[in-house]
Amino acid sequence: MNRDVYVIGVGMHAFTKEYIPVRDMYFTAGTDALKDAGIDFKDVGYLYNGYIGGGMMEGTGYAKDLGLTGVPVVHIENASATGSSAFREAVWSVSGGASDVAMALGFDDMARMGLARKKPAPGTRKGLPSFENTLLPAGFFAMWAVRRMHEAGTTVETFAKIAAKNWNHARHNPMAQRRADHEITVEEVLAAPMVAYPHTAMMACASGAGAACAIVATEEWAKKNANGRPMVKVTASQLQSEVYSEGHIFMGAVVGPAFSTERTAKLAYEEAGIGPEDLSLVQVHDAFPIEELMYYELLGICGEGEGDRLVHDGDTAIGGRIPFSTDGGLIARGHPGGPTGIAQVWDATRQLRGDQGKFQVEGAQNALVHMMGAGSVCAVHILQKA
Amino acid sequence: MTKQIPLEEGYMVIPDDPDQACRLLGSYSKAADKTFFPIRKRCPITEQSVETVELSNEGELYSWSFVLMPKMGSQQQDASGGFGVGQIDLPEGVRIQSVIDGKQEDFKIGMKMRLAPNPMATDDDGTQYCGFKFIAIEEA
Repeated sequence: MNRDVYVIGVGMHAFTKEYIPVRDMYFTAGTDALKDAGIDFKDVGYLYNGYIGGGMMEGTGYAKDLGLTGVPVVHIENASATGSSAFREAVWSVSGGASDVAMALGFDDMARMGLARKKPAPGTRKGLPSFENTLLPAGFFAMWAVRRMHEAGTTVETFAKIAAKNWNHARHNPMAQRRADHEITVEEVLAAPMVAYPHTAMMACASGAGAACAIVATEEWAKKNANGRPMVKVTASQLQSEVYSEGHIFMGAVVGPAFSTERTAKLAYEEAGIGPEDLSLVQVHDAFPIEELMYYELLGICGEGEGDRLVHDGDTAIGGRIPFSTDGGLIARGHPGGPTGIAQVWDATRQLRGDQGKFQVEGAQNALVHMMGAGSVCAVHILQKA
Repeated sequence: MTKQIPLEEGYMVIPDDPDQACRLLGSYSKAADKTFFPIRKRCPITEQSVETVELSNEGELYSWSFVLMPKMGSQQQDASGGFGVGQIDLPEGVRIQSVIDGKQEDFKIGMKMRLAPNPMATDDDGTQYCGFKFIAIEEA
């Protein structure tokens, strides 16, 4: 990066399955982040809206509720990595000198996307799905899980343990969609209705609505607005699309070759000048627990085939060696689409400041946030307590 | 005789003769000596031109699942209660994602599978619009 970049403010509207006007959630996330940063909207030099399901210029319209300042506004869409990509653009805006303060604001309501499926896809006959769009992501991740079970002997109980952990992490997160009123057990996760073998409904990410905002700025702005809090520096920002691999799948809702994560993380570690052993916590695209399990290995947290042991030893729970999905992850905090990647930044920033109360990772110093976007891209950012 | 045609052009061929196998269409890159599915505009590795080829209609099941959710494009659960999905490796080095026929207990990694048309709608004149699926090849 040409200039150092810091996260100076974060805000969210809680993820939810209830109907709340998207415009209201957008405003809440935006104003909360501005308040957290201690700045006004007129101070923002660039605004990147991240959403998947909205209409033309929707975000630009909602931004008028924050103010009419003439700020450049851009719409970013990169599937599940939409929020992460909007955040990255904000980071690059500040790093490259286009602005001193930039805002990334992600929002969505997945119910709107469900309704959109009633319309026939372009180029198809009889309103049927196209060849390119016939398998659900749930099927794709389930096949990844079945193959893992075949190759490494991973059990369904391991997947259930990961899901239960993330449900329990979310219990104390006020922004989480799934906040259980009791400790979730492995047995409960296994007893939930099957979605796609071996994944049950309690292992599937929570589909809903929400908004999240992160404001990044130069060191000068960060120091001026630190307000006694630790500063949070963005030490790596990487985004990669696919490269060819054996058995490459081009068609359908896929997240590309597994090693996309390994490749992108390697670039991020190099940029940040740290290794996986330096991380205090990690957020990943845990749409299903097979992903989190694989990312333990692909992010270099453990060796190939050693992820199961991490789960059984409790290493990836809060209080363990390297907590994953500390805010509940996609499984329990939720995954509305556009805001998800920025919700990860919300948690990572607050963890590094020491502000997460009952789900705080003690002594957090470096946080890695990772998202996949079907189509596909991989985004990895590393944040550091400065 | 029921006429079957692909949902979209450029993905598969279904011969009029029912004794002839249907085939998926892929792209072969001579420069990379690789085959891809579906058809590519050009080789994604070398950026050289590719030629359209008909792929083998039999392969091996790499992985599978049984999905108990509505199919893509539908809000309703399948009347049968679910459907199989699989990744099938073809001899050309291509991995295909597809609906697969059968129940959960039928599927086994490594089993041989064969391509078949998957009728998804029928016109008033009886013409069937088809995607594709794979069916397990019974043991001899």
